[in-house]
Amino acid sequence: MPKKLGVYVCSGCSIGDAIDTAQLAKVAGGECKAAVCRVHPFLCGGEGCDLIRQDLASGTVDTVVLAACSPRVKSDVFQFDHGAVVERVNLREHVAWSHKQRDEDTEMLAADYLRMGVARALKSEAPEPLHDEISKTVLVVGGGITGLNAALGAAEAGYDVVLVEKEWLLGGFAGATQERFPAGLPYTEPQSEGLTSLIDRVTYHTRIRVFLSTGIVKTAGQPGMFDVTLRMERGEQTIRAGAIVVATGWKPYDAARLGHLGYGLSPDVITNVDFEKAAHGPLVRPSDGKPVESVLFVQCAGSRDPEHLPYCSSVCCMTTLKHVAYIREQSPETKAFVVYKDMRTPGQYERFYRTTQDHPLNFLTKGEVSSVDKTDEGKLAVTVKNTLLGQSILLVVDLVVLATGMVPASGDEALHLTYRQGPELPILQDGFPDSHFVCFPYETRRTGIYAAGALRAPMDAAQAREDAMGAALKAIQSVELAERGLAVHPRAGDASFPSFFLQRCTQCKRCTEECPFGALDEDEKGTPKPNLYRCRRCGVCMGACPERIVSFRNYSVDMIASMIKAIEVPEEDEEKPRVLAFMCENDAYPALDIAGLRRREHDASVRVIPLRCLGSLNIVWIADALSRGIDGVMLVGCKYGDDYQCHFTKGSELASKRLENVKETLERLQLEPDRLQLTQLAMNEWDKLPALFNTFVDRIRELGPNPYKGF
Amino acid sequence: MAEATLIQPDAAFIRDVIASGGGDLKKCYQCATCAVTCSLSTEENPFPRRQMLLAQWGLKEELSEDPGPWLCFYCGECSKMCPRKANPGETMMALRRYLTAQYDWTGLARLMYRSVYWEISILLLVAAVVVLLFTLPHSFGFGLLSQSGPEARSIVMLDKFAPTEIVHRGDTILAALLSLLLLVNAARMFFGLTRSEKLPVRYYLAQLPNLALQGLTQVRWKGCKGSEAIKNWVRHLLLVTGYVTMFTLVVVFLPWFQVEDSSFHWTSILGYYATAILLGATAWIIVDRIGKRAEMHRFSHLSDWLFPILLFLTAASGILLHIFRLLDLAMPTYVLYTAHMAIAVPMLVVEVPFGKWAHLLYRPVAIYVAAARAKAMESSSPEMAGRNRSPVREGRTQFAVGWKGSHGP
Repeated sequence: MPKKLGVYVCSGCSIGDAIDTAQLAKVAGGECKAAVCRVHPFLCGGEGCDLIRQDLASGTVDTVVLAACSPRVKSDVFQFDHGAVVERVNLREHVAWSHKQRDEDTEMLAADYLRMGVARALKSEAPEPLHDEISKTVLVVGGGITGLNAALGAAEAGYDVVLVEKEWLLGGFAGATQERFPAGLPYTEPQSEGLTSLIDRVTYHTRIRVFLSTGIVKTAGQPGMFDVTLRMERGEQTIRAGAIVVATGWKPYDAARLGHLGYGLSPDVITNVDFEKAAHGPLVRPSDGKPVESVLFVQCAGSRDPEHLPYCSSVCCMTTLKHVAYIREQSPETKAFVVYKDMRTPGQYERFYRTTQDHPLNFLTKGEVSSVDKTDEGKLAVTVKNTLLGQSILLVVDLVVLATGMVPASGDEALHLTYRQGPELPILQDGFPDSHFVCFPYETRRTGIYAAGALRAPMDAAQAREDAMGAALKAIQSVELAERGLAVHPRAGDASFPSFFLQRCTQCKRCTEECPFGALDEDEKGTPKPNLYRCRRCGVCMGACPERIVSFRNYSVDMIASMIKAIEVPEEDEEKPRVLAFMCENDAYPALDIAGLRRREHDASVRVIPLRCLGSLNIVWIADALSRGIDGVMLVGCKYGDDYQCHFTKGSELASKRLENVKETLERLQLEPDRLQLTQLAMNEWDKLPALFNTFVDRIRELGPNPYKGF
Repeated sequence: MAEATLIQPDAAFIRDVIASGGGDLKKCYQCATCAVTCSLSTEENPFPRRQMLLAQWGLKEELSEDPGPWLCFYCGECSKMCPRKANPGETMMALRRYLTAQYDWTGLARLMYRSVYWEISILLLVAAVVVLLFTLPHSFGFGLLSQSGPEARSIVMLDKFAPTEIVHRGDTILAALLSLLLLVNAARMFFGLTRSEKLPVRYYLAQLPNLALQGLTQVRWKGCKGSEAIKNWVRHLLLVTGYVTMFTLVVVFLPWFQVEDSSFHWTSILGYYATAILLGATAWIIVDRIGKRAEMHRFSHLSDWLFPILLFLTAASGILLHIFRLLDLAMPTYVLYTAHMAIAVPMLVVEVPFGKWAHLLYRPVAIYVAAARAKAMESSSPEMAGRNRSPVREGRTQFAVGWKGSHGP
């Protein structure tokens, strides 16, 4: 059934001043064959929206093209029922606000955008969400501070929780400590309360089932329907969970690698974890059992050190302060030396630091331990350089405590996922699960599985409590969205999903390998087996597929190709180059909106096509564009590498790899590789965009027209 | 990098300094704001930062060789600026108290600084001795009340009550004794300061005029840019003139000063001047200490109270005695004379060699040693000039013997 197209052009927000909207309406009504075409000065107002609603309700229109502002704004106003396809054409930010008013090129640009929008709208269908039986149970892996809080948080929010702990008791590392950091006013003394009551609340909560001395041998399935096989002493049991919070915590850094700080030299050189254990008894030298008269704490032992852990574990300073407090509880006469790189005592912990400083026999100095030796009397001689005392100092002590940092437990096998891409959470830097630390905390590259606590980043118990809540909420969002068949972060609420036309699949495995979220498993031959609840709808598989068999109802290779075809390419002698820019929807496209908002002009030869992720770029589009006579193609995506900003972790990186292959092809076709360019851009670099466009168009003008023009 | 210096914090020393009023010294985290704030602090001698550090780490030996604590006039700017409220100004004051006790070989200074009871007891003891001298019959020629005729009870006959000749002899002996004690302590201080940093004698000789100048005028104080520093210096200088005048009158010119007739004496003018200054300045100081407005008056140790109070009482009893004598009120004159002596003598005995007053010699000596060092540094190689830059001087060899033979001293 042919679509009944309605084109609505808004002339408000100075669109009408910049563009001849009546002329645009003619383009819509003429070549675009719109059933209805209306120009309105205030389309987002009640009257304008009613106009569209009436057309939809009367059945004259079932496909709406809104030629108005950016799709990033007014999305709440332009909401229509009746399963209508709605396509937004960005006339305001990308045309009216960023180009010369009533200029020939501006008019051409607006007309092209309208054609492209119509082309896409005509191919789009309204997505239908998935629908399956969903479990809303949250599985929490790890019964430490984080796991306990996550379990309690989710249970209190009304969700069933299964808590799995490999040890025979709850509490994790914190449970093994004598006292913990100050958690309340006046923040000057370690505290020992709190954990037992937390464990009790979890243990006796009606919504929480606790499995102790239990491991996970298999995690199969997908969000909303994870089948997790638990192994305990009395056998195995499979439970179903909707989402998983992984809180497997941390391990101390391997002190065996800290020989330069004296570890291994004497039993009297111990780690802060050893000290914590030893603090239960009287303070004696491990070597001979004599009472300890002086202790030296070495901060950042193997931390903030490129040779060891490059990061700050953020807790060792407080741990040492706590350990000094242990010493004070036992003996007012023991000297405690602390050698630090910097004391990092964030927030209220500064009070703890001050209190520790106050004792006459606590000595703290910045400095660097340069050697640890044994003395004839069996003591330890520690040389410290670059101290606050302005010189190297030598301290002879009974005990040296190395304040070692936290290593995430990600190396341990905890989940045993049956995913094609591996059994555990993919890790990024330093062994932490791969997620954008600042922008998307708790996310991992396994949808529905969230990392929290010291597994995710080094943190103390107070931070872990908050982290647990964050991850629990993420898990809840995940099961709730799964129940509605919608995508989770970052396209939360997206009802579309990819479908695979498997008859044409050549088992090349590109999609199963490239999917950043491991959504696709494989059968023995290599045919993808999609797990749609794991999918985040980025379209990387669509970009990867050489056979173009992956498509969404509102996003497909064909749709974008139609948009490219809709661009009117002027003849060579008109000397009007055309440049196509594929822009990531998440950073680059909004950046161009901002540039428009700030009224920064850019060359009107550029036609922008937003992509869900640059990783969904299918190289066939580039071939299409060049063969249509388009003179150059730009790709603007997020930063990639270790500090990537890609919302889908790998998209822009994959696009750049694909582009390298295309460039080789170009050379064979004797087309200049300069006609293709990939740029990494963050949203805050919006001011660079106009120059980026202009420079590229200038280069294209230098290269001359695409020789394939007109073929 | 010089060889590492063995650091052995002296716990007792740290506690001593804290007990002397340095309760906040451990709060310092070595940001150096104090040394930057202080206008007298130099690159070579960054006080009070250096002293804070030495005291924090219990480096007693280092501090005993350091004139730093005495180079500060306590304007309190450092305490005001200190981000940790470590009160470096007061810590310097505490160090001066501690060092005053340390320089004294008798150990009395330490007892009195550390214990209110000792301080008060010794003051009362000396006062009791003085009172007894004037009241016991036949004691050293005093004791007119029991010996002379009844006319002495109605007309003032001070020479009978306290014969000038005997009093003069007594105060000369007392002055000599106290000066000797003070000199011995100052010498101990000097040798302590110069123990490990020996300069050629010419540097010390060259700085002798400076020693006298500083002692008499405290002119270094002018360099202090703290708020009210100049006011404090002028007040202090006036107090010094009043004190020196009175001291001279009593010790040198007593026969002309202690008179019985009411005719005009040239000494009266000087006496009135000194009394006015002593009363005014000490009252002002007491009011300031009560008000705690200025940084230097916020913390008052017992020794900080006793000094101005006793001096005020001495001057007040002195002038009252003078008035009674002029009014020819015999008995009140005698009683007040006794009281005057019972205040002045214990004050001098306690304060001059053992107490706060000893700073009249300690501070100039410290400035003197520091100046000699600075001169020596100037004239030596540039390499030497940098020697004292670090908060703790390098090169002290106090390594412990016996740990790892290969690394011995």
